[in-house]
Amino acid sequence: MSKLPATAATKVTPLHGASRMSRSLAQPALDATYWSGQMSRVAVYADVDCFMRVYDHFAPRLNRYLLGLGLPPAQAEDLVQEAMLRVWRRAQSFDGNRASLGTWVFRIARNLHIDALRRASTSSAWPDDDIEQLHDDEFDVSGSAPEAFTDHVGLGRAIDALPASQARLIRMSYLESKSHSEIAAELGMPLGSVKSTLRRAFAKLRRGLGGGA
Amino acid sequence: MTPVRHLDPATLIGYSSGALPLAFAAVVASHLELCATCRARVGEADAIGARLIEQQEGAPLSAGAREALQARLSEASALAPQPARSGRPDPDLLPTALQPWFGERYSTLRWRAVAPGVQILRGGDTGPDARLLMLRTAPGRRMPLHSHGNNELTLVLRGAYDDVLGHFGPGDVADLDADIEHQPVTSPGVPCISVAASDAPMRFSGWMARAMQAVLRL
Repeated sequence: MSKLPATAATKVTPLHGASRMSRSLAQPALDATYWSGQMSRVAVYADVDCFMRVYDHFAPRLNRYLLGLGLPPAQAEDLVQEAMLRVWRRAQSFDGNRASLGTWVFRIARNLHIDALRRASTSSAWPDDDIEQLHDDEFDVSGSAPEAFTDHVGLGRAIDALPASQARLIRMSYLESKSHSEIAAELGMPLGSVKSTLRRAFAKLRRGLGGGA
Repeated sequence: MTPVRHLDPATLIGYSSGALPLAFAAVVASHLELCATCRARVGEADAIGARLIEQQEGAPLSAGAREALQARLSEASALAPQPARSGRPDPDLLPTALQPWFGERYSTLRWRAVAPGVQILRGGDTGPDARLLMLRTAPGRRMPLHSHGNNELTLVLRGAYDDVLGHFGPGDVADLDADIEHQPVTSPGVPCISVAASDAPMRFSGWMARAMQAVLRL
């Protein structure tokens, strides 16, 4: 009897892996609603348990993202923590009707990263918080129907359906933060082709989002 | 103010992915403050980035990171009052995204005359890969003929101009590729104030070239 649970456990593990994957890939619209609910409790009750669920989901993904941008591990982790603290502090300004939590969290992490680069590369004095908050919150998919952004099933499918060359350029843009000219140099493509490929990819992904042609 | 000329989707992706040089990002962000259409587009671009990041498997943080973060939650209350949004727009204020580079107010900008009817202002240190420039041109005047090595992104802030591509008014952007040579002509009425980012030295030709190059140290 004592061996049975162990055997079951080893057999269950891959299934767990599969179910986690299908949850994140096939049911993201449900996820968007779920995360909005968690964030409402953070905003209204300062609910630490709900926030830590958000943290457990997003912090490792932000870490992967920032490492992919080439940050040293210690710096990536500092930025992850900073971004998650900002999510906590600004919970009240998150509006689940205007953007998914994933989009909002991505925006916060990206802006913190850009600010870190700015501080490192320029001597200009940067006002700290207000401008960043403006940029975290303002650029939402506002003109479209509230549910448009939750249609990440369509977006996930559209990403999977991209031709390889378009998918590659989209990934290099977002996951490595490569500029158009860096992509052009690395792949030996003319700059104009890099841009036109990205334009075509964006048009397809917008349709996946329900954003029309 | 409803801009009619918008950002190239490739530029939106560059902005959303954090890959634009600072000078370009400043012009994009300024346009976004004025243009609801492009705000919606960049919202879509952000959703794409977010989806890609969520699709990736996470990289675990170091041991103790979770507890360290949780310990800091009490010192940063989630219920802290949010800073109030600014009230009615003040027409003397520059777009927020330009203020760190040029200052807050149009009325306090310290323009430098480079030619009759043409004044310029360089943005602060935008790094080696791009430059940021404000240009104030008297109404009804031909701006210097120029072409670009790679890219130029121009946003009209006040006044208007016409060139081979059409009419550009407040809030409109011209998102130009390489090898376009154009000679904007400002509209009658008020001076045209624009801000431009470029990732290669502009090449001026014609009578104003020497004066411009000397001042801009291009």
